[in-house]
This record gives sequence, structure tokens and C-alpha cells, in this order.
Amino acid sequence: MKKTRSLVSVVDDDESIRESLPDLLREFGFDAQTFPSAEEFLASDYLAHTRCLILDIAMPGMTGPDLQRELILRRQKIPIVFITAHRDEAVRPRLLNLGAVECLFKPFSDEDLLQALNTALRLN
Amino acid sequence: MQDELSRVVDALPGLVWTALPDGQVDFLNQRWREYTGLSVGEGCGRGWQIAIHPEDLPGLVERWQALLASHKSGEMEARLRRIDGVFRRFVFRVSPLTDESGRVIKWCGINTDIDDRKHAEEELRLSEARKTAILDSALDCIVTIDHEGCITEFNPAAERTFGYRREEVVGRRLGDIIIPPALRERHRQGLARYLATGEAHVLGKRLEMSAIRADGSEFPTELSITRIPVDGPPSFTGYLRDITERKQAEAELRRSEAFLAQGQRLNLTGSFSWIIDTDKITFSEQLYRIFELDPALPVTFEQITSRVHPEDLPLLNEKMNLARTDIADHDYEIRLRIPDGSIKYLRTKSYGIRDREGRLEHIGAIQDVTERRLSEKTLSKIQVELAHMAKVSSLGALTASIAHEVNQPLSGIITNASTCLRMLSASPPNVEGARETARRTIRDGNRASEVITRLRALFSKKEAAVELVDLNEATREVIALTMSELQANRVILRSELDGDLPPVMGDRIQLQQVILNLIRNASDAMSGLEDRLRQLFITTLLDDDDCACLTVRDTGVGIDPQNVDSLFDAFYTTKSAGMGMGLSVSRSIIESHHGRLWAAPNDGPGTTFSFSIPCAPADGSDNGGIGGIQASASMDTQNVTRNP
Repeated sequence: MKKTRSLVSVVDDDESIRESLPDLLREFGFDAQTFPSAEEFLASDYLAHTRCLILDIAMPGMTGPDLQRELILRRQKIPIVFITAHRDEAVRPRLLNLGAVECLFKPFSDEDLLQALNTALRLN
Repeated sequence: MQDELSRVVDALPGLVWTALPDGQVDFLNQRWREYTGLSVGEGCGRGWQIAIHPEDLPGLVERWQALLASHKSGEMEARLRRIDGVFRRFVFRVSPLTDESGRVIKWCGINTDIDDRKHAEEELRLSEARKTAILDSALDCIVTIDHEGCITEFNPAAERTFGYRREEVVGRRLGDIIIPPALRERHRQGLARYLATGEAHVLGKRLEMSAIRADGSEFPTELSITRIPVDGPPSFTGYLRDITERKQAEAELRRSEAFLAQGQRLNLTGSFSWIIDTDKITFSEQLYRIFELDPALPVTFEQITSRVHPEDLPLLNEKMNLARTDIADHDYEIRLRIPDGSIKYLRTKSYGIRDREGRLEHIGAIQDVTERRLSEKTLSKIQVELAHMAKVSSLGALTASIAHEVNQPLSGIITNASTCLRMLSASPPNVEGARETARRTIRDGNRASEVITRLRALFSKKEAAVELVDLNEATREVIALTMSELQANRVILRSELDGDLPPVMGDRIQLQQVILNLIRNASDAMSGLEDRLRQLFITTLLDDDDCACLTVRDTGVGIDPQNVDSLFDAFYTTKSAGMGMGLSVSRSIIESHHGRLWAAPNDGPGTTFSFSIPCAPADGSDNGGIGGIQASASMDTQNVTRNP
């Protein structure tokens, strides 16, 4: 239980997400790290260890989709679960086409998140 | 021998007689006696004179005495009474019988009936006189030619028309006189062909060709040529008429018809005439085109009604029934449904006239206004769609931003609550963690509430554009925008704008929305009027309180004085299609400009709406109005609900 915990990184400019999600992720049995921006995530040492990325779409500076493209360019195959407060159904298929595992609309249930994470980790 | 001679004399085809040298008749043959019914005894001596017409007798006797005296043959004419009392004209031929010495021993006479010939001669003379009279008095030129093409007759009309005297041209070739050089060869060939083969191209037809006058000028003529029905070499009569004036009139007519047709084509207007008595309907070319009917066929009611849109048939029938009895003017619009399914909008204006016999005829013009109507329809549809889209998109944008702002804390709340539950359900329960997440849940709930508060503040703080506004200019722009709408509603607009009106401080667009709203209301209030003019007066003036005042006065249905105040309540409306927002929003806009908006019934029919706004200070400094404007009118719904 100690050493096999997978690292799930959360990138979101909203503080309440950054505060609440890590506890839930740990309850699920994952390790969790949070980043207030895409830039900080890219600059961190956790990039290489991240097994799954929970990524907000709309952020100041680099957006979620920007980060997704950047990771593809860097050949970092980290499964991504997008989260967004904008319930825009048109966005979802675009992101999934680019390889995202799931796109959850805030607020989402813990079960939906767990299911998405399990799917993502099976891809590894 | 004597007997035989006597029988011969009796059988001679004439009335034969003899007389003694002194003139006494001594023999009358059988035919004479049978013709006159007189016996030898009655006729001999001077007895024959009883059979002579009394008018002719003195002349005859005198002539007879002269012949007797001259001893020479001669002729006399007189009417001789037949046995039935009828006088017939005879020629009396007499010659003397003389002896060797030359002495007259007897006179022989034979009377020949020339009555028929005389009549024929008389007829001929009369017909000749008539012919001359016709030739002389005819308005048409009459020219006759013989088989060689030489002129044999040239009447006074021809003299006047061509400028030749008859004597100058008779005997000369027609081809050298009045036929233009270009046509002479054809004339010569045609005549030659006719003489050779009897084949005629021109006889008995109405022809038009040029002719040439003595002065060399050419002019158009109408002519017909006939062959004179006599034996022998043919001769011809030509009847000619100078048709210069008619040609000019025809050309004028053609030109004006062409102008009319072209004009009708250009402004898509056709004309018609309907004679009520006979129900004869005549369409102009363009009207056939508008109705898409075959111009080769006469117009019938069936054809017309088959084209008219069924919904408009009652209107058409009503108008036509009125037209049957009345000369009043009509002005109405109907639609056509063309077999291909397309719809046309036709504006009809007609009026009745009575001719001298009192028969009623309706004459009218029909204009195809389809394009105008369709573009109006499209325009208003676009306006409606735009308004709807604006509403939906602003609502949509609002909803989306509210959702985004609220979903963030909601997401935290749900995640925290989920975590809390999981911590409490663990074995052993993580109470401390659960307490922490519950605290965060409460905090996120408060944050969601703050978001709502912030949103309200955000939307109510939207700035109005405050500037110096020339109320007259703003009014003129609105009038220009609404002109076609007003015209379609047959509203007559008059405006009196005070040229010295100072500007006001405010939001130009908002003020124009108010003016537009007042004009629309006034126009709508008059839309059902038929018994009086739909008049709309817009005035601006500077009132006693130094406020710019604008009034909109209509002649419409008016308002109940008791309802004047509720007019401005939100959702109050007398219109079936209205939301009742217009006036309440308008009032809040005016009040945000520190002004007043009010309504009053007119002395006569209709209502007057007015607003007044303080004028901007001359130095242009802020008169404190901006805050007021900011606080309202940016979101209609808020203003309406806040409106006291």
C-alpha cells in the first residue's frame, strides 16, 4: 500500500479544487500533487512521475488544451482527465479525439472521477 | 302587186305614213294604226296630231312646215301616244318623193321608237354628271390611267394634293408624274405584267406607298386601284389619300404606347379597364405579364379569380361589388397565387367614370409590390430574429458566466462532501480529516454565495455611455428609421422640432429607444382607424424649467384617464402582442436621466406622451446624472422590477 501508490497531478487555477481533490484522491489510494498553473506543472519534477493528470480547461496563461498539446509534443504520454466548469458539450469530443481519457463537468461525483482515473491508469 | 306592196308596208318595223305635198296625211300603215289605236279616217289629214304629246306638238308642226317648204328630207322628234295612253319618244324621218321635174308629189315618213335609247342616253348623261360631281368634290385624289399608264383623269383633289393642273398631266405617263423614281420601274413592270398575263398584285387592295408632288417632295399615301370594267384595253382608277398626318399621329400613338408599356414594365404597373355593363375587361400588356395570363386571350373573371389568393377573394368580391354601382375610388391590396405556387402582392388603385351614355367604367392601375412586401416581411422577420437572438445570446452568456462562477465552488463542495463521507466510512473512521473537509465544504458554500453577490454587482455596474445628445437629431434619426413602417401603417407624420433646443446629457441610444417606443405605440394605437386620419405629431421644445421636452401626439384609440398611471407598470399592456415592457422601461430610462415621462388624453381623439429631461449645463460639466444612469436601464428586467 505504501510504495505502489500512483501519482495523480491536479492542475487547476481554482483553489477550492486544489484543496479538496488531493484528500479525495488519497482516499481513493493515490498520491496527489496540485499545481495552480500549467506552467508550474511543466516546470516541476513531478512531471515524469505523474501517472495521470487531472487538468482544468480554462486557466489564465496556458490553458488545459495547450498543456495537452505541449505534452504530446514532448512525447509525454500522460493520460489526462479534463475537468471544466463550462458545460460545453462541443468541447468534450474534441478533447477526447486528441487522446484525453475523459472530460468531466464540474461539479462531478466521486464515482465518475474514480472511474475516469481507473480507465486512465489501465492505459499505462 | 299592189296588194303585196301594201302588205310589205304594213309589215315594215316602223310606223309608216305618207302625206300630200301640202302635208295632209293620206296613208297610215297597219303598225301606225295599231300603235296609236287610231283608224285611217281618224289619223289622216291633221287627225294624227291628236296622238302627239301636247308639249311636243307646236315644235313638231313648225319643223314639219319647214321641211315641207324646203322640199328636203329631215328628222323630227316627238312623243307619240300609244293606244294605252303611254307616250313614247319617236324620231320621225321624212323624205320627199319627186317627179322628173323635181316637184314634190308625196312625202314618205317612218316613225322609229327611240324611247329606250333616249332613256339610256339620259341615264348616261346623268351618270356622267354624277361622275364629274364625284370627281370634283371627292376629298380623295382620283386618277385614272389607260393601259399605257397615261393619265386620263385627274380630279381637283389630285390637283390640290400633287400641285399639278389637270391639263398639265392628262395624257402624260403616271410613272413620270406622281410615282417616286425608286418605284417607277416596279410600276412599269406591274402594269406590263397585268397586260400580258392578267396577274394583278395591287388591284382591289388597300396599299400604302410614297408619292411625289410637283415640287418634288415625297409624302405617304394610302391608295387602292381598281380596273374600270369596260371592254377593250384595260384602264384603271386609283384613289389616293395623303396620310402624312395620320402617319404622324400613328407614330405619336405608337411612341406614347411604347412609353406607357415601357413605363409600366419598369415600375411593374399594369392598367385595366372594366366596362360594368358588358363586363368587358381589358388588360394592358404588363398586367397580362403580372397575372401571367396568355395575352392572346381575352380576360375573363374566371381567369382573374383563378389567380387570386383564396384568402383575398372575399376582399376582391367586395371591392368589385362596390365598383359595380359606384364611381368611388378604390385602393386595396390583394395577393395572387400563380400556378407555380409563387405569391404576388398587388396594389390596386381604381376609379369609376361614366361616359356620355351614363355607362359606368372602372379604370385602374395595378402595381406588383411583391418585392417590397417580401423585403418588408424579411426585414421585420430579421428584426424579430435579431431581437430574439440578442435576448437569447445575452441570456445565454449570462447563464454561462453564472454557471462557471458557481460551478467552481460547487465542485469543491461536492468533492469535500464526498471525501468527508469516505473518511467517516473508513475503518477506523478518520474523524479529524472528515471535520476538516466539512469545514472546507462550508467555506466553499460561502464562496458560492459570494459569487452570486459579485455577479449581481458586476452586471449592475455596466456603464451607460453618457454624452451630449441633440434631442432633435436623435429624433430625426428615429423618424428616418420608422418612416417606412409608418407609411405602411398609413400614418401621416408631422414634426416641429425646436431648432434652439440645447443638448441634454445622457445615453443617446437609450433615449432613442424611448422615442422609438413612443412612436411605435402611437402608430399601433391608430392601426385600426378607418374613420379619421392617422396623424402623428412630434414636437420638441424647451419648457419653463429649462428642460428639453419631447411630445408624441396621436389620433388613436386613446386611453382611459383612470389607467394613465398603470400604463407605466411593467406587464401592463393593451396590445395583444406586447409584453408591456416598453413604457415601464422607457420611464426608467427617462428617470435615470433625471427626467419625467407622462401621458395625457387629448382633447380630441388620441393620447399625448411626453418626456422632459434637464438640459446639459452650458459649461458641459457633470450635472450629476451619470450615477443615476449607471444605476438603471442597462438591464431592462432589473429596471422594471425595481421601478416603484
